Amino acid sequence: MRLRHRGVIGVLAAAVALALLWLVPVLWMALTGVKPAPEIFALPPHWLPHAPTPAHVRTVLTTWPFPRWVVNSVIVAGVTTALSVVVSIPAAFAFARLRWRGRDALFLVFLSSLLIPLEVNAIPLYFLMNRLHLLNTYAAVFLPMIGMPIGVFLLRQFYLNIPFELDDAARVDGCGNLRIIWHVILPLSRPALAALVIYMFIFAWNEFFWSMIALQSPRMFTLPIGLRAMQGAYDIEYGIMMAGATLASLPALVVFLLLQRSIIRGIAMTAHR
Amino acid sequence: MTRRTFARAAEIAAFLLPFAAFWVIFRAGPVLYGIFISLYRWDPLGENTFIALRNYLDLARDARFWNALVNTLEFAVLTVPLILGLGLAFAALVFSHRHRRAMRWVEAGLFFPYLLTVSIVALIWRWLLDPDFGIVLLLLRDAGLHPPVFLNEPRWVIPAIAFATAWWLAGYRMVLFRAAMEDIPDELYEAARLDGAGAWRIYFAITLPLLRPAILFALVLTTISGFIVFGQVLIMTGGGPGRASEVLALYMYRYGFEFLEMGRAAAVGVILFVIILGLTLVSFRWLGSEAEL
Repeated sequence: MRLRHRGVIGVLAAAVALALLWLVPVLWMALTGVKPAPEIFALPPHWLPHAPTPAHVRTVLTTWPFPRWVVNSVIVAGVTTALSVVVSIPAAFAFARLRWRGRDALFLVFLSSLLIPLEVNAIPLYFLMNRLHLLNTYAAVFLPMIGMPIGVFLLRQFYLNIPFELDDAARVDGCGNLRIIWHVILPLSRPALAALVIYMFIFAWNEFFWSMIALQSPRMFTLPIGLRAMQGAYDIEYGIMMAGATLASLPALVVFLLLQRSIIRGIAMTAHR
Repeated sequence: MTRRTFARAAEIAAFLLPFAAFWVIFRAGPVLYGIFISLYRWDPLGENTFIALRNYLDLARDARFWNALVNTLEFAVLTVPLILGLGLAFAALVFSHRHRRAMRWVEAGLFFPYLLTVSIVALIWRWLLDPDFGIVLLLLRDAGLHPPVFLNEPRWVIPAIAFATAWWLAGYRMVLFRAAMEDIPDELYEAARLDGAGAWRIYFAITLPLLRPAILFALVLTTISGFIVFGQVLIMTGGGPGRASEVLALYMYRYGFEFLEMGRAAAVGVILFVIILGLTLVSFRWLGSEAEL
């Protein structure tokens, strides 16, 4: 549905205005983070800081192991993503491109857990990780996310659409399944892999409930858990809270500015069959 | 079994095993383990006692549990239309226009909040809705209105959290809906235009009906994510005022890790699991299992 001629400029202006309005909360966060306390609570409010100060940012960085949280988040999200991709590829291949008895039934079993969130398992996972002596480690956070069926589901959908003649031709040339995955499937499924990487990384980066239970010492916190701990400590000291929140959004902002199109394309990909 | 078929079976098993191991140990296993835990009274110091379904009966008699369930339902019922409505409207806007380059920036702006973690989103909105200095309340008062003090009023607190959540997630839905819109063949639009249909007519007569599967699936997914809402509530209100915004996940967290009643908390997890599995199976029935995410 593409509008023509009339209203083109009007729609465009409205859309841009909407997008800017939508980002006002982000801007307000960043501005509050550099305002001295009296300006934060000034009435009427100061839209722009009259005397911007790095004091809150300094408080955050000197009182809390903030860079460490960023590193922790990157490790957790990176390992989750890498491992889930690695285990999903062969499984998706077996479901999409090999024929065996019980295949569809087993797939349905995995699929039925597709939408089951981590949260419902928090208590048993806590006991399990406690037994494995993994509480308060990275492993406790990333292990439960690796078996999410989304990767198998997404890759299988994509693999089903790759012509099967390619496998047959490779087999005639004497390739086994591993080499077919490596030389035929993987090169052709880059968009799906990119989509999966983006999806899993964002998912793990945002994980909150289970991480909050699994991680106990401040040095092990990921960013969302660290911010929550800060909030517990300061409550309504909005300058510090907003400085922390701004710092915590910087990684997402930088990556988004660099990879904006790939990220949106990757997310959109998860909607295609 | 011949040697060849055995080798083949072994290969398939090897392909499935890495994923299946994680799935069994950290997803399916814990569900069963959770049911087991929920049948015990868990004592941090002494013996655990088997009490069969007592935890469930206790929940059924606990007004606080019902309060949390009702709050969770209210949250889900409010966020679903907000997120889907905004997502659809944004997608239509972004997709409707010839200025593809400009619209990509619009789309990026609307999508960006999704990349912020729940803590950031919750902190931002806690500040925006602060009873004394929150800019939203100040602006509404400037406009001559008498807005409720959202986060302090039992009737408004869940709608406020739902709105913050919609701000966070609507852009994500927009991208998925926009992608689904792109899958609609152009010929359909052409035909409608030849018949003299206007933009609105086309949207309601062609786009929306063809998006039905995508919308229904988004409905299920958003409902499920509504059932497990936690971070926003914890940070924006801590379940308050009173218990007006205490949701099931928060109830589960408090009983498990503050009151150390792990059995009862596990029972809440089992109940959530049953609700969500039920929704999943119904939606697969409804849409076929090949529906998109």
